[in-house]
Amino acid sequence: MVSFRHHLELYSRLLGAQLRSQMQYRLGFVLDLISTMLFTATEFGAFVLVFQRFPSIGGWKLEEVAFLYGMVEISFGLMDMVFAGFDPPAFAQYIRKGTLDQFLLRPSSLLIQVFGSDFTLRRIGRIALAIGILVYAFNTNHVVWNLEKWLFLPLVVLGMILFFGGLFMIGATITFWTVESSETMNIFTYGGGYLMSYPMNIYSDWLRKIFTFVVPAIFLNYYPALFFLSKPDPFGMPYFVHFLAPFVGIAVFWFAVQYWKFGLTHYQSTGN
Amino acid sequence: MTYRAATVAGLTTNIFFGLLRASVLLALLNAQRVNGWDSNDAVTYVVLTQAIMMFVSIFGWTDLMNAVYRGEIATDLLRPMGLFGFWFAQDVGRALAALLLRGVTILVISSLLFHIKIPSSVAQFLALLLSMLLALTISFAIRFIYNLSAFWSPDARGFARFVSVIGTFASGFLMPLRFFPDWMQQILNFTPFPHIMNTIIEIYVGSISGNQVLEALLVQTLWAALLVVLAQIILSRASKRLVILGG
Repeated sequence: MVSFRHHLELYSRLLGAQLRSQMQYRLGFVLDLISTMLFTATEFGAFVLVFQRFPSIGGWKLEEVAFLYGMVEISFGLMDMVFAGFDPPAFAQYIRKGTLDQFLLRPSSLLIQVFGSDFTLRRIGRIALAIGILVYAFNTNHVVWNLEKWLFLPLVVLGMILFFGGLFMIGATITFWTVESSETMNIFTYGGGYLMSYPMNIYSDWLRKIFTFVVPAIFLNYYPALFFLSKPDPFGMPYFVHFLAPFVGIAVFWFAVQYWKFGLTHYQSTGN
Repeated sequence: MTYRAATVAGLTTNIFFGLLRASVLLALLNAQRVNGWDSNDAVTYVVLTQAIMMFVSIFGWTDLMNAVYRGEIATDLLRPMGLFGFWFAQDVGRALAALLLRGVTILVISSLLFHIKIPSSVAQFLALLLSMLLALTISFAIRFIYNLSAFWSPDARGFARFVSVIGTFASGFLMPLRFFPDWMQQILNFTPFPHIMNTIIEIYVGSISGNQVLEALLVQTLWAALLVVLAQIILSRASKRLVILGG
């Protein structure tokens, strides 16, 4: 039985190698950093600029939407950095090129190796800007802070990281069968992130119901936001749903790991 | 079969994103008319941008820089035609395929799902086609120029990302330029980016007409000419730098 400490050591070594290699081309790294930051800046900036002509969106003010947006961006950015090895199009390359076969032949945990195979440090640009947007949201919304909220905030972020990370793993697992990654997963990952950046009451009933009962995205960001900003719940759900975010994240991630294990038993190499 | 599955997946994803973007604009508009656009215009805008984003390669293109880094560019330079023309011809083919296979399908499916506008006169339709051709030329010239940076720098990919991100914002893909504050629209009008998408949108939706269309097409033509010439100048500098060993 290989100890947890061994896994951690292996992961940090792989990570170190990743970071060193990414820092080799300094100018390239700085440019990448700026463009991930610019990605968030233009996306949110476009919304802010347009908002000057409108009073509100679905009854939400700009600073309230900034909370939703900042939370999703931080979580997605962190997830994208840590789960980069599972990003379906990248993972499909491992299968096609036989990299996965190399991983399987090594006497180490497969999950640790995939986690250690990529770590997109450049996302720090995006995350830093998202933190700025979130701080702006906290200041302008006059959130009343108490111990409960301080403890809950990181749990919401963790919930979303596990949720998006789980989706990446599910997308990666599908490529065990299909080899080619499917664009459909983007609906849930990038589409899910986009959807959660705005108040859920702006979407059609059927769409919102899918993202409540089929993919429980509504509990990850929208309900926690109602809690932090002390806004009333327009859908009349029971009060405890405000606090479901970490549990939904854990459940989706657990399911993803099970699916990954199942997929692995069906994995046939593409042959080289 | 594999390709068919991929096509269906691509279309579903495209329409889903269109649905989300339309939901945001409709919620903002809240059944009002803002700066000349109502809900119908906004939905048409979303469907049109979703349909032409591949046509004008809004997310960027790196084939040429890959050819430079791999050294395949040497073979291209041996061909009895200019590098710009050779790659542009290929890109026009790619763009037409994207437009006819993906774009038209998206327009047709979306018009069944949502109520969208359709160009009403032959003149408007011809102006639209001309504007799209010019938009493609401008888009290609910009992409060609940042790909040429591969002759000087190992970081061309970084420049590509940089320009593409600016492009999604400044061309009116992220949000309609019409809804930006006037000062921002004026700044963007000094750049070629609005002519990659916004001009097409304005003509299609019908929010500019008559002389305004002619003026827009003229400015678009000037930008296209300027950028093509610029691309040629940079290309001639780039090929002088190039030293190829072996054979």
